[in-house]
Amino acid sequence: MAAARRSLNSRRDGWFMVSPITAFLIVVLAIPLVVDCIYAVSRVRFETLRAPEFIGFGNFAKVLFDHEFWGAMLFSLRFGLLVTAAEVLLALVLAIFLAPLLAKRSWLIAPLMLPMMVAPALVGLMYRLALHEFVGPIPYYFVLLTGDSPSFLGPDNVFWTLVTIETLQWTPFALLILYTAYQSIATDVREAAELDGPSTWQMLRYIELPLMRPTILAVGFIRFIDSFRVFDNVFTLTGSGAGGNTMSISIYIYEVFFRRNDIGVAVAASIVLLAVSFGLLTLLLRWSERQA
Amino acid sequence: MKRAIAALRWMVLIVAIMVLNAPVIITLITSFKSDAEIVSNASLLVEAPTLVNYVHIFAMSDRFDILHFLWNSVVEASLGTAFALALSLPAAYGIVRFRVGLHWLFPQVVNQRAIPLIIFAIPLYLMYQATGLLDTKLGMAIIVCWVNLPLVLVLLVNAVRDVPIEMDEAARIDGASSWTIVRLVILPLVRQTIASAAVLAFVYAWNEFLFSLILTTRAAVPVTVGASFFFSASGGGVQWGVAAAVMMLSTLPPLLLGLFAYRHIGRSMTSGAIKG
Repeated sequence: MAAARRSLNSRRDGWFMVSPITAFLIVVLAIPLVVDCIYAVSRVRFETLRAPEFIGFGNFAKVLFDHEFWGAMLFSLRFGLLVTAAEVLLALVLAIFLAPLLAKRSWLIAPLMLPMMVAPALVGLMYRLALHEFVGPIPYYFVLLTGDSPSFLGPDNVFWTLVTIETLQWTPFALLILYTAYQSIATDVREAAELDGPSTWQMLRYIELPLMRPTILAVGFIRFIDSFRVFDNVFTLTGSGAGGNTMSISIYIYEVFFRRNDIGVAVAASIVLLAVSFGLLTLLLRWSERQA
Repeated sequence: MKRAIAALRWMVLIVAIMVLNAPVIITLITSFKSDAEIVSNASLLVEAPTLVNYVHIFAMSDRFDILHFLWNSVVEASLGTAFALALSLPAAYGIVRFRVGLHWLFPQVVNQRAIPLIIFAIPLYLMYQATGLLDTKLGMAIIVCWVNLPLVLVLLVNAVRDVPIEMDEAARIDGASSWTIVRLVILPLVRQTIASAAVLAFVYAWNEFLFSLILTTRAAVPVTVGASFFFSASGGGVQWGVAAAVMMLSTLPPLLLGLFAYRHIGRSMTSGAIKG
């Protein structure tokens, strides 16, 4: 086709079109990575930024032998896995149970989506108020109903408090996506299945859930990635916590950089994190391909 | 039986809305309590509702200038969203129609979403320091543009894919250049997507915290970081009523967008998540 050939001839135009975004990414993505790689093998502090001194792989050794690094890694992994599992389950139950209501009155989805509109950093601050032992309504009602209130931010409970907070904020995301997937199961599929007279449960187990499976995996994937790199709400609510017990991997790097002024180590930790993220990403993608 | 289930559905829905929105509801209610009442009454029933906390915020603008922070957020989020759209629309056209970058640029941008952004924070801090972008609105706009690129590009690529190729072939036969086609043919046809993408990108930009915390100190501080300043500055004796009012004002714009543009946001989130 002449037109198609003409559009092939103007492939040059294509390069022209993608060049601004490419240039932008080189500046904000590629250059920082190169800087990361240089500083990772150097001894460098704020005072010696221009003159990094090459020291080989010492920074990496420091990171790998730092028990705080491994503690933070473990925190993020546990946090990510628990939050993802809780969100997907809760959202699935809500999406399917509430579907008849939401289908008739679609505006009801708005108040359900609202938690996602609030900055996670502000949510962390809001819970400082909500969970405050004297002025917070949540402990107040715990005392009223049970006679006692757990110390939500105390060392025994703080991890679960953070998991709950993150889950409550982002279950709406999973809910929205899963509800959309549930609604888009074609009516003729449902009608065909109904000819065999299945129970609601059988319908769910053998028709609807298998059809939603790719979406469930995609949602779980996105939510795991986001909760693994958690920073904002944890940082504003508890910081790195007492003895670093709420230090996520993102908070760890932030602290090493700003508090310890150990740029080489912070950057080496970034690179290890990048490698781990890529490893996790590849594993998850492979696994989900095999599932699909 | 059927009516019992319907009633149960409504109950579950209402409980879900209350629990999921608990932090906002609690903060909103507390913001209407006087200092005296906050200490004496931690329940969710306000005995003597007052607006005094909101008045106080503006009376303390010499120490804590909320309008300044809000203005910074407005400028940074709008500029950042506009940049992301301006970079992504031509790129989406190039990727879809000429398949340039389909296998390197597109996956690269999409994968960016999976990388913990803290990795880039340190070198960006150093680069910003060297170029004078530290603590500037432009600097933050660049960052929120970058943070939003995966979302915006995925949405626009999907939208351009849905434009029938006959549309641009017709224009090309009339002698239009690729740039003209993007501007006069594609842009009007993907308006809807641009609006949806812009709303969600604006919300994400408004809510950005990590880079704002690292890259701003005074002049360009957005409201997310400003609100946390308010807490740390007051040390142990946080004025909870004023703090609650500060948090409500800080979150009002995205909340209103969420209430009134939820269709746009829902559309962007669903198609960004599933195809991205």
